[in-house]
Amino acid sequence: MQKLFITKDNLQLLIKNLNNDCDEFIAPKREHLDDIIFGDTKNDSGELLDYAGNSVISPRAFLLPQTEELFKIKSAKKSNFVPIEDTRKRIFYGVRPCDIKALGLMKKFFLDEPRPYVQGRGEFVDVFYQQRLENSIFIALACTNRCSPNSFCHIMDAGPIAQNNFDLQLIPTFQNRPARSGADGVGRDSAPKGQEKVGSIPITRGYLVEIGSKKGNIIVRKYKKLFVKAAPSDEKEIKNGLKNFAGKVKKINFKKLAKIMQQDKIGQKVWDDIGLRCVICSGCITLCPTCSCFSIADRLSGDKGIRLRHCDGCPFAGFTKMAGGNTPFPMHKDHIRRFFEHKLNIDVQRYGRPSCVGCSRCIQTCPGNISIHKFIDSVERIAESV
Amino acid sequence: MKNEYLPIKAVIEKIILESLDAKTFILRPEGKTNQILNYKPGQFMMLSLAGYGEAPFTFASSPSKDGRLQISVRRVGALTEALHKLREKDVVGVRGPYGNTFPLDKIKGKDLLFVAGGCGIAPLRPLIQHIFSARGGKDRKNYGRVEIIYGCRTPGDIFYQDEIKSWEKDVKTSVHLTVDQPDASWGGTCGVVCVLLPQIKLNPKTSLVFLCGPGVMIKFAIADILKLGFREQNIYASLERYMKCGIGKCGHCYINPAPSLYSSHTFDKVSDKKEGRCGVKGKYVCLDGPNFSYTQMKELNIES
Repeated sequence: MQKLFITKDNLQLLIKNLNNDCDEFIAPKREHLDDIIFGDTKNDSGELLDYAGNSVISPRAFLLPQTEELFKIKSAKKSNFVPIEDTRKRIFYGVRPCDIKALGLMKKFFLDEPRPYVQGRGEFVDVFYQQRLENSIFIALACTNRCSPNSFCHIMDAGPIAQNNFDLQLIPTFQNRPARSGADGVGRDSAPKGQEKVGSIPITRGYLVEIGSKKGNIIVRKYKKLFVKAAPSDEKEIKNGLKNFAGKVKKINFKKLAKIMQQDKIGQKVWDDIGLRCVICSGCITLCPTCSCFSIADRLSGDKGIRLRHCDGCPFAGFTKMAGGNTPFPMHKDHIRRFFEHKLNIDVQRYGRPSCVGCSRCIQTCPGNISIHKFIDSVERIAESV
Repeated sequence: MKNEYLPIKAVIEKIILESLDAKTFILRPEGKTNQILNYKPGQFMMLSLAGYGEAPFTFASSPSKDGRLQISVRRVGALTEALHKLREKDVVGVRGPYGNTFPLDKIKGKDLLFVAGGCGIAPLRPLIQHIFSARGGKDRKNYGRVEIIYGCRTPGDIFYQDEIKSWEKDVKTSVHLTVDQPDASWGGTCGVVCVLLPQIKLNPKTSLVFLCGPGVMIKFAIADILKLGFREQNIYASLERYMKCGIGKCGHCYINPAPSLYSSHTFDKVSDKKEGRCGVKGKYVCLDGPNFSYTQMKELNIES
């Protein structure tokens, strides 16, 4: 597909325009001691055009919120439930490729999973998730640097540039050259590479624009004046720039890894160690962009109330506990193990690829220093020795 | 698009006291043609009690055409406690049916053994009723001998007492009851269900077995049933797990067949099966179950 280019100034204009096209403009902004979080900037224009690193919480929180109102209970006595619809149109700006990949995985889980063996019932679709997703537009912002030394999106095939599942993708191009003045691109390719760099901090010249869907195409057509055709050199430049994104990448065979886990060749020592380190803070499952487990709870005030869905997760001791007190997983170490099994084994069995995107949020938040990255690495070492 | 999470109203038509802490609720869902009424023996539904959330219950009666369904509920948690306080004509929410059915085709012409513990009789009852009373009892001849082993804590905990008597009247059927704590009037067997297994007069090579009950009962009963020579692929257990959705989304009931994940297991690790097991995919109890054959259970490395 023909790639496009947008200058920084035009991007600012585009964002201003898009603000009017939606009910919520979800963009990265700085909050609380300079942390980057995603929030609605439609009315405060606090969005960051570009930013280093990644948001503390993944944009998953807008599609599968920590607590979500599913039904209005109009009358508990009459068991009268009315679905709460969320028809707000959201535009997500500046979503990192790892989170974009996670969105694709979640979409598959909540909407597309075929269930041929559920006779006569077709597929079960989570309409609450579906509605939010279908009312959303995702503008990805590719990475130019690793957001943290712990991140490993390049290993998980999730970054630094998103491959699909976005509507539009912006890929920053650097070099301090004169801003382009129109479609002709005069002056852009004349300066020799790297000569005008200011110190070591590159200055964004503009963004290469990739269209990933019909929704993205509509935006580009609507605001076509803001875009120009990309020059072949832009792509080359990006390729060169990302050459050293992560140094030498060790390819990991995830099917092999999953098989090792299925055959239980990790060894109890590893699981014991992980179990000892886990303090059930639930940080990992809260920040993970692909965690999808939930629970249901009702809140009543008199006869009226709401039915909530809230995020739940495998580290909690009560996750599999039944009303009689029975639990299939009584051991603490087996609780957190489920997180690893889910991301690296179960989803490989189900979809042929792991559901970890290497964003490293779980590693950064873990008070016990449990690292899924190190785990992936060490599993491979075991694989080599077997 | 259908909202699978939306409960439909169901009126409690009748409440039957089964034991000190268990009741059977006869429910009439709104709309005579509602999809939930098209359930088959072995499937379950989600019951909503506004203010208490949802919980899964296996249908406790064979599907009938009168627009009603039954569940038997023991009082064990917050939701069941509240459910027990409801009266006839009160309204609850239901949705379903979910899960797989018992292998209805496989049982034709076969001798059948049922092993139930406590309220575990409820999930097996639709199948037993299906055998005895489908097409007004005309279908009974399509099945062989039926033996039912049913164990309870006390004689007062035995469900469906009148119905059990009617099952006993069938010439090709015998019902064996046992209790853990007998009272003065109890003249029958005492002990766990396993003590009754030697009395079974079925050909173990061809008969099918259906179990439901507490985890420990399933585990030890299967071990003894296998010793009698019954075939692994002919043993079915209806399992229970914590569930919040019934449609494979909430994540609670997932079984991952990793061999050492169940650290509390006392069975030998079936090490000879290790290689064979690695091709086995994990399963959702709500979608792939709740009824699993022992062959499947072994592959999944679960005992109950």
